[in-house]
Amino acid sequence: MEFSFEFMFSTIPALLSAAGVTIRVAAIAICLSITVGTLLTVIRALKIRPVNMAIELYISFIRGTPLLVQIFLAFYALPAIGIKLGPVTAGVLAITANNAAFMTEIFRGALASIPPGQIEASASLGLKSRAIWLKVILPQLYMRSLPAIINECTIVVKGTALLAVITVVEVFRTAQQIGSSSFRPFETFVAAGLVFLAMSLVISQFGLWLERRFALRRGV
Amino acid sequence: MDYTVVTNNWPLFAKGIWMTIQVSLAAIVLGFCIAFCIALIRTSRFRVLRIAASVYVEVLRNIPFVILLFIFFYGLPFAGIRLPGQVAGTIALSMFASAYYGEIIRGAMAAVPRGQVEAARAMGFTFSQTLRDVIIPQMWKFALPPMAGTTTMTVKESSILSTITVAELTYQGLIVQGMTFAPFEVFFAVAGLYWIYTAFLSHLFKRAEKHLGSSELAAVYRSPIARKYLTLDAGRRA
Repeated sequence: MEFSFEFMFSTIPALLSAAGVTIRVAAIAICLSITVGTLLTVIRALKIRPVNMAIELYISFIRGTPLLVQIFLAFYALPAIGIKLGPVTAGVLAITANNAAFMTEIFRGALASIPPGQIEASASLGLKSRAIWLKVILPQLYMRSLPAIINECTIVVKGTALLAVITVVEVFRTAQQIGSSSFRPFETFVAAGLVFLAMSLVISQFGLWLERRFALRRGV
Repeated sequence: MDYTVVTNNWPLFAKGIWMTIQVSLAAIVLGFCIAFCIALIRTSRFRVLRIAASVYVEVLRNIPFVILLFIFFYGLPFAGIRLPGQVAGTIALSMFASAYYGEIIRGAMAAVPRGQVEAARAMGFTFSQTLRDVIIPQMWKFALPPMAGTTTMTVKESSILSTITVAELTYQGLIVQGMTFAPFEVFFAVAGLYWIYTAFLSHLFKRAEKHLGSSELAAVYRSPIARKYLTLDAGRRA
């Protein structure tokens, strides 16, 4: 069968409307994982030994196991211990749990790059530890880790494609449906690839724009 | 918790992890070879080749692996190319890995001091001699640390081959889950096996880095000229 560009372009509107689900899921997961990552970073700085060991174990588990298995754990294994979640909720939970671990690692690296003198200065100026975190450390932490955060965002968007296996109807699952009903999976999957490519490029361009803006604000 | 679910079905898990090891190792080796070619093409004199190689890398890095896999397994048969799942999966995984390794190798080659390459060419080394005797021996120092991450990523992505019925670990987990209805135990066992495998690979990379660092230092110690001009802990990384 010839590769039909015409058919490929005809599937794009349906895929783009499914991209709404992908973007929503990804956006929720990213916001949640930045929040969780920040919380874990602050908690880790309290240096409570058993808590830190638990966080280390969590990060190591997430980094050592595939996202697909984590999605299965959230969707199939949680109900077995009494937590029943819908596919979208389970998916968001799995991707958040996955990405939060990577965010925490990114923040750890950025935290090490903040000059300790600043924190000593703010402490000697009498700032409370809450104010030191909110006004001194975190704003710089986010700016310094921006490129890495943007990179994580594209990884999250790509990761949402795996939610198709737990029946979330996003871009990839829509492509599977169109591909099997039209008997033209080749064109459909290439079209789905293009949609993901476009989303990734938009995110990384947006990231570059943000970096330039922050650079302006800092006067670099 | 019912451990017997895991212990009674261990042959399936063993088969699964063995398939995961085979497929991922094949993809790592093959992917590295493709990546090496890609890295060379990206330094080519011909603009068209350079652009083609960077498009290859960018596209593969920006689409989900599962889509690449489905194009190979469900798409290609319609174009007349029919591949068994394991072959399609290994090829797709190799391509995926090659895009990431390619960037790493390119960066590592560029990190070898330019003057050394120029000196080698000036002394009459051919391009392939320069590559073999000057660039490749020195690029590992820069390539190994990021390669560890890409390698474990390749292993983790191999779990997606379960969606095209390659009987690797995740697939066997789904099978056992279907027979026993004990998803909690089964998927934690599967996750645990992946965890052990990726931890082992990271450990190997750490060993290799350490070995590289110490052998570099030994080379400096053996050379009187180098001892005179170089600070001896230069080869040691923080």
